Amino acid sequence: MKAILRRELKSYFSSPIGYVCIAVLLALFGFLYFSIMYTGSSSYIYMVYSNMFTFCMMVIPILTMKSMSDEQRNKTDQALLTAPVSVTAIVLGKFLAAFIVYAIAMTGSLLPCVAISLFGSPSWGEIFGYYLGSLFYGAAMISIGVFISSLTVSQVISAIATFAVSIFILMMGQISSLASGTFIAQVVDWLAFDSRYSYFTQGIFNISSVVFFLSVVAIFVFLTARRLESKRWS
Amino acid sequence: MIEVKNLTKRYGANVALDNVSFSVEEGKIMGFLGPNGAGKSTTMNIITGYLSSTEGTVTVGGYDILENPNEAKKLIGYLPELPPLYMDMTVKEYLNFMYDLKKVTLPREQHIMEICRLVKINNVYKRLIGNLSKGYKQRVGIAQALLGNPPVLILDEPTVGLDPKQIIEIRKLIKDLGRNHTVILSSHILSEVQAVCERVIIINNGKLVADGATDRLAHDLSADHRLIIRVDGPENEVLHALTNLGHVKEVLSYGEKEKGAYEFSVEADMDYDIRRDLFALLTRKGWPLLAMRNTDLTLEDVFLQLTSGADPAVVRSKTKKGAEEE
Repeated sequence: MKAILRRELKSYFSSPIGYVCIAVLLALFGFLYFSIMYTGSSSYIYMVYSNMFTFCMMVIPILTMKSMSDEQRNKTDQALLTAPVSVTAIVLGKFLAAFIVYAIAMTGSLLPCVAISLFGSPSWGEIFGYYLGSLFYGAAMISIGVFISSLTVSQVISAIATFAVSIFILMMGQISSLASGTFIAQVVDWLAFDSRYSYFTQGIFNISSVVFFLSVVAIFVFLTARRLESKRWS
Repeated sequence: MIEVKNLTKRYGANVALDNVSFSVEEGKIMGFLGPNGAGKSTTMNIITGYLSSTEGTVTVGGYDILENPNEAKKLIGYLPELPPLYMDMTVKEYLNFMYDLKKVTLPREQHIMEICRLVKINNVYKRLIGNLSKGYKQRVGIAQALLGNPPVLILDEPTVGLDPKQIIEIRKLIKDLGRNHTVILSSHILSEVQAVCERVIIINNGKLVADGATDRLAHDLSADHRLIIRVDGPENEVLHALTNLGHVKEVLSYGEKEKGAYEFSVEADMDYDIRRDLFALLTRKGWPLLAMRNTDLTLEDVFLQLTSGADPAVVRSKTKKGAEEE
């Protein structure tokens, strides 16, 4: 797993993808911080993070689009699958690499908060809540992205499909409001990422949300591994 | 070392491999021949655990590839048809990555450099794989298979894309490796298989059609075992003398081929080597022997015969005609 993780990380930064994703996220962060802090105060920091939720959903497909699809297209998966490593280790390596790139961007987002703390007293508890929340739902999205990229050999299809799923997940709250009060609304609400995430934005470290996001990661890592296995049987 | 039993692979209704069984002993080089789409790569992919079989078992070094995949895979170095190279890595990075991936325990620097020397890629060691020529990429692929010095090497068309000088070098390398490795080598270059392999397996349409020692195979499959000799001497006397020689079943004269020299076809008893007697006879009579060749099939003939389903005589006459035209 370590070998794959190291290779993936290297490939994110030997091509512009890693830098571009981090730069785009940080630039958007910076802009949001500036515009919201300019008109409001540090207590409006939740607005920054709830907006970033949307932007991260757009950048994550770019991070995960090639993780499995490129291997299949270049037949390099033959090297991975004939090496003495388990499929789960391969998938975990890929997932962690994308997650680390994402986490670097997220950690960078704490810098403006540090700047603000020099001149005011932001609520660090709240900020870390957002930070952790972003990491958790990001991890869940990345695992979905890695799974989708294992379904296709085309990076473009992989990115677009992941993007579509992102948008669907973003809109889940609205979908449930269309059928409010029904059983369907309950199910959709239960699955909706943003309602899980909103606990973090309220500064609540909700264990059930953490478990929810980690379960999503586990399920999709498992599904990706099964998908790689199933290719052998087709 | 490698045991393949009743291997069958179906893709839906399409049968890619049909009940193929063979085994390769330790320290042997086995050639794997077959026309395109015969199932060579599929078989190799199954042995290495990249694909699974529909039916049948594969064991490598006593480990079943499905039940103990990691143990079995540790024993195998695999060069697939398309070398699994990452174009965005340098040769150095790639070999180090494969070294880690294969969990090799030999001293890293020393081992990698030794392999680079062996396949002659040390001059491109720090270059990006994506910028290398096809021959170099192929050699990086071979280097990757050799990492960790696995006892079993499975090479799918290892000399594709190499220039003639490199082909000879790589063949020699494979032959050297064959002394202490078990090698399966697929190729569509028949002379390569003949030059490198002790044993050859031919598959066609997913079925095993021949399995035997490379030089015996041609002999055994030949329908007739005759000697064609060219003798400088009077036609009728030579014909008479030959016919009266022991163990000779039939002698035919093909007429005058050079001035004063005649060609004869001599058929001897099965399993009797008539050549020495023949030579002794001609020497005694004072008729110089100008040429002698047997009519055994070449590996090429065997291959064509087995994979096209055509009548051997037809195949033979075709190749003969081709030779004359040249």
